[in-house]
Amino acid sequence: MASACWRQALTAITLLTALYACAPQAPVFHASGSPVRLSEWNLFVLSADSLAPTPAAMVFAPTNQLFTDYAQKLRTLWLPPATAANWLDGEIDYPVGTILTKTFYYPVDGEGTALQSAPQSQSLIDLRSNQLVETRLLVRREQGWDPFPYVWNDEETEAFLRVAGSSKSIDLKSDAGSRRFSYFVPNENQCAACHVTEHPDGELQPLAAIARQLGSSFDADADPALTQIEELQRRGWLSAAANSTPASTLDSKPDAVSSSPAISWLDPSATTAERASAYLNVHCGHCHNPQGAADTSALLLDGSNTAPINLGVCKPPVAAGGGAGERLFAIVPGAPERSILLYRMESSAPDEMMPELGRTLVHAEGVALISQWIAELSGSCPTDGTAQ
Amino acid sequence: MHGHILKLLTAVTSVILLQNCSEPEAPLPQLSFEETLQLQLIEAEPGAVITIPAGTHALTRSLSLNVPGVTIRGMGMDSSILSFKNQIQGAEGLLVSANDFTIEDLAIEDTIGDALKINDSTNVTIRRVRTEWTGGALTSNGAYGIYPVQSRNVLIDSAVAIGASDAGIYVGQSTQIIVRNSRAELNVAGIEIENSTFADVHDNIATSNTGGILVFDLPNLPVQGGRNTRVFNNQIINNNTANFAPEGNIVGTVPAGTGMMILANDNIEVFGNSFTDNNSANVLIVSYHITGLPIDDVNYDPFPESIFIHDNQFSGGGTAPDSEPLALLQAATQQPIPDIVWDGTVAPDKQAADILCLRNNGEQTFANLDASNAFAAPSFDSSPHDCVLPNLSVISLSSAQ
Repeated sequence: MASACWRQALTAITLLTALYACAPQAPVFHASGSPVRLSEWNLFVLSADSLAPTPAAMVFAPTNQLFTDYAQKLRTLWLPPATAANWLDGEIDYPVGTILTKTFYYPVDGEGTALQSAPQSQSLIDLRSNQLVETRLLVRREQGWDPFPYVWNDEETEAFLRVAGSSKSIDLKSDAGSRRFSYFVPNENQCAACHVTEHPDGELQPLAAIARQLGSSFDADADPALTQIEELQRRGWLSAAANSTPASTLDSKPDAVSSSPAISWLDPSATTAERASAYLNVHCGHCHNPQGAADTSALLLDGSNTAPINLGVCKPPVAAGGGAGERLFAIVPGAPERSILLYRMESSAPDEMMPELGRTLVHAEGVALISQWIAELSGSCPTDGTAQ
Repeated sequence: MHGHILKLLTAVTSVILLQNCSEPEAPLPQLSFEETLQLQLIEAEPGAVITIPAGTHALTRSLSLNVPGVTIRGMGMDSSILSFKNQIQGAEGLLVSANDFTIEDLAIEDTIGDALKINDSTNVTIRRVRTEWTGGALTSNGAYGIYPVQSRNVLIDSAVAIGASDAGIYVGQSTQIIVRNSRAELNVAGIEIENSTFADVHDNIATSNTGGILVFDLPNLPVQGGRNTRVFNNQIINNNTANFAPEGNIVGTVPAGTGMMILANDNIEVFGNSFTDNNSANVLIVSYHITGLPIDDVNYDPFPESIFIHDNQFSGGGTAPDSEPLALLQAATQQPIPDIVWDGTVAPDKQAADILCLRNNGEQTFANLDASNAFAAPSFDSSPHDCVLPNLSVISLSSAQ
């Protein structure tokens, strides 16, 4: 009798511990201030074995994600209770209190060495087989979106706000062998360098949790496999208005065109040109757009401009310095090996490489795609694109 | 019995609560000098003065500033040194995108890319700042030293720029500009004003560069139509350093030994300068066609126009031209290249005097290269250019008072 009581009590204690003591508490929207610890937001449930998003959040993945040194990314979206996003000019307008998170991590082998692998779609991170690096927050406050880069400590017990960024030396193992590189956590200005697409006075904007990036399902095997837009609507987090607008009306609004679902640069059914455009858009378009920081170069890769010279075809460099790689034009049709665009993608020198931020390593798969695209382009430049 | 269990439950739960959820907090990370400085730049309020103490401060990543109204102030360009010798991230030393910005009395050394880039900013003051690559004129040096672009009301005063593999002081796609009292040395281009309007470049020393002072207008840029620049009272001396720009860049086409080069710009007034021993030519005036590059821009005017060069002093130079047409000219004449060389290309509806007027330059010598006829019949007659143009107006910036 007594021992049964004890067992019951122990079971109850265990349950209570799980449900009450360390159970997920509701996420906290900090309307101001800069919490020093990630845990102050209550966005994750951390145990010795895993980092799990709060059940209140939605895990999502954009159609096209930015390459970040082969890091895996777990993204979440959370809206405060009883709030919802609306459509505004064809884009999702999130309410104050919305919190986006993106956790960067690497799978590791038995010795703890990071492993290069294709992008995964996990909805929690198993800490027995993965290493945490950083968690970035984008928080919708009254005055706009604010970025908060948090860096995990080596013990994986907490992530700390690093407004000025950080770096971490990582050994990354792939089929080709192992290499050590410096992984860079951006500082808050560097967050803005990509997330402020209208330079310099625009506002920070999400780049993944936007309409054209959410046109696919997070889990294609789910039944029903809702698109992520539909999942937002199922949760009551997004009004249905834009979807009910006739397509012809959408097409007549310039802003709305951009919200049509993006083609994935990995989609084997898309053409090389479509895939290349999708890749360049997500990796370059946040700066190389008519209002972006890189409009000084007149190289426009956000899909808004289709003039060949602005896509780089036979375009001489402006202020590329050594980044020109002794090549004469951004793109020489049919000749990736003579195109500056490819040179800068293949470079890992900080003053030469593109994108300038977000990577230390070369994205071999991206290089292969853009190389193939340039090789398939027809035409030629007035001179042969070989430096004298 | 049940009461005991309840008490026990409460006690154990409390213990677990304490153990699992009130663990001692993990310690905060320590910040390095560069992280602290970057933090200051991010958290600055408008009006803030951020001081750089004396000493050489090693940085590994780009610094950046986006807050308006900030002053960054060191203890002197030879005292407060931001050294990027070990830089491993970022395409610049300091990247600024902020109005009402002042930087003064410090040095930025050995950045992997550009030293000080200022993008899209209004009211920019750069005073007594040195940018330098300390290893000398190397192709591996960063492209630009002091580099405001798409900016307005830019004052560069008493600056020093050494070793840039493109331009030491480069103002691009900007308007209302003063570059004065500065020294540009051992760069490919000493001082370059590109695709910009309304600039005064005066009382500077440009020496030992590949080209001393360049005024360019290039096609296919969002800001073009470069015009209204005055270049006066400068000392442009011995700019004979071999061109060390990475190939593919426009300044890579500048011949070593160029004192001043005007490319496709309009309304330029050059006066009161002292040109000495620039061994390709003291002054070159050329159209964009001289580059041999294609032009795919219907809005672009490749020809220079309304260039007024007067009251300058010329001494030496032209003895070792680093350009095929100039070398052929020297071989044919057995004389140094003349002081002022025009490529001779004009738009169909223009005359020589629409392009270039020359007055009161002492015993100036002149050549028209006849480039549009494959350099067939060069002329040394400056009489078609004996004309005057209206003086351009003074650039007035409140920061320059």
